[in-house]
Amino acid sequence: MASGVIVDDGVVTAYNEIKVHHAGEVVGDRYKLVMFRLSDDDKSIIVDEENSVRMKDIEGEGEVFKRLIEKFPLNDCRYALYDCCYRNKDTEKADLVFIMWAPDEASLKKKMLYASSKGALRKKLQGLKIEWQVNDLSDAKDSSALIEKLGSRGSIKELEGKTV
Amino acid sequence: MSGGVYGGDEVGALVFDIGSFSTRAGYAGEDCPKADFPTSLGVHVEEEGSGEGEAGQESSPGRSFYLDTPALHVPRAGVELLSPLKNGMIEDWEAFQAIVDHVYSKYIKSEPNLHPVLMSEAPWNSRVKREKLTELMFEHYNIPAFFLCKTAVLTAFANGRATGLVLDSGATHTTAIPVHDGYVLQQGIVKSPLAGDFISMQCRELFQEMNIEITPPYMIASKEPVREGAPPNWTKKDKLPAVSKSWHTYMCNEVIQDFQASVLQVSDSPYDEQVAAQMPTLHYEMPNGFTTDYGAERLRIPEGLFDPSNVKGLSGNTMLGVGHVVTTSIGMCDIDIRPGLYGSVVVTGGNTLLQGFTERLNRELSQKAPPSMRLKLIASNSSMERRFSSWIGGSILASLGTFQQMWISKQEYDEGGKQTVERKCP
Repeated sequence: MASGVIVDDGVVTAYNEIKVHHAGEVVGDRYKLVMFRLSDDDKSIIVDEENSVRMKDIEGEGEVFKRLIEKFPLNDCRYALYDCCYRNKDTEKADLVFIMWAPDEASLKKKMLYASSKGALRKKLQGLKIEWQVNDLSDAKDSSALIEKLGSRGSIKELEGKTV
Repeated sequence: MSGGVYGGDEVGALVFDIGSFSTRAGYAGEDCPKADFPTSLGVHVEEEGSGEGEAGQESSPGRSFYLDTPALHVPRAGVELLSPLKNGMIEDWEAFQAIVDHVYSKYIKSEPNLHPVLMSEAPWNSRVKREKLTELMFEHYNIPAFFLCKTAVLTAFANGRATGLVLDSGATHTTAIPVHDGYVLQQGIVKSPLAGDFISMQCRELFQEMNIEITPPYMIASKEPVREGAPPNWTKKDKLPAVSKSWHTYMCNEVIQDFQASVLQVSDSPYDEQVAAQMPTLHYEMPNGFTTDYGAERLRIPEGLFDPSNVKGLSGNTMLGVGHVVTTSIGMCDIDIRPGLYGSVVVTGGNTLLQGFTERLNRELSQKAPPSMRLKLIASNSSMERRFSSWIGGSILASLGTFQQMWISKQEYDEGGKQTVERKCP
């Protein structure tokens, strides 16, 4: 069962941009986080450019995870793709994480709209293995809920350059 | 717009959520249902042609139905009580139609052929019944478009979850329904009969033990105040018709249900006689004027929901308590999705409004769930949302402009037949 909301072409473009690393691209222009939202008429899912984050925006930032989480609204829903860097034992890893952000504080209508439209979006974003559903804002305060998604207990040593 | 798509959004869609206890119906986009009445109805088998219809009466040759509280509460000779649903699925189609007819004539006051209809269904509804319902709505009511949604999915979505475990404790059953990415995982559904009706039965036994007679208001002409514990002093109405046993039982149950909601409380830890003895007593007055205080019983009766092992009359039973229903259901799902289910246990249904229900469930689950799991129970504080969650979810969905392309249009039905429901509403 789905809402019938359609996915804007810009979303797929942004997905390809964050997914594929091109030779010779300017690193600072790369997406760190692409935010998606429902258009104002609730008919399509579009890129929320204003709240998306590029590499240059977090240059020299010590609290990357925190900065990214602050981009999400407290009483509204969003979807996002997050290019997550972490280290398990001795290997540096990067994985795309699909985030469904639907805080319990959001209105019933928004929650219904985002939950019932997620399927349509996921169909356009093939090949993502990590999905993080955030409903309780306390789960987003620290990174432990996300880290559990990335690997088995205790296996993740660093997230965004910070020891966990 | 392509031919098959239902294209008229000028007229509001209707949302029907017909549960075994109550029927909710109203316009999509509104915050709460216009109609909310008991699904049970009174039925009278006619021996000859029936007389003039009256309010709340829907007739069909042979049987006349009395539904909705005002008509259902009038004592009538020979009227038996009937529920059109069995196990959450439509069993008596004629009685079901009486309910739909009543919604249209009394609450919607408009023609069925003007409004698309979104209906909720039990997650375990059978293919044959879904197709029959689709056929009924298009052929008999001539509606322009139709959609069927599983209650649990509506509830999960309305709580912002595409994945979660929906625990629905209603009148007849407590059910755990795992939902993953918007689909019900049928193999993980777990049901237990420990629900609202079970508690009513336990209360009935308590009253028998205490020698308290249940007198439904329909029998009472007048009553005098009496001392606490003293026999009630009331006079019976004259000329009561010879009502059926099933109808009388239903009226008694309404009294018991009020008692349940006012007096009972789920203990926050497993029942302990000494703790229960300390329970503050609560004064309750029966409709016939009898009053007394209730103490330990307040905790003892609902305990059966969580721990059926000590319930009288259920010896050697294999029924699952509410906590076990949840853990068993999750245990039957793929190991990879279990964290997502434990992380979103959505509590819904009228029986969960018993005081202390969610607190106790939370406690049980935190003990039973594997320690590595992040457990989160979601229960709306508003009793309206808890009772109407699937209706509200359907109301939002059916009011979305984009939902137009999801409906089964009349044209699609005409071309594809009733099987279309399997394709469009999986």
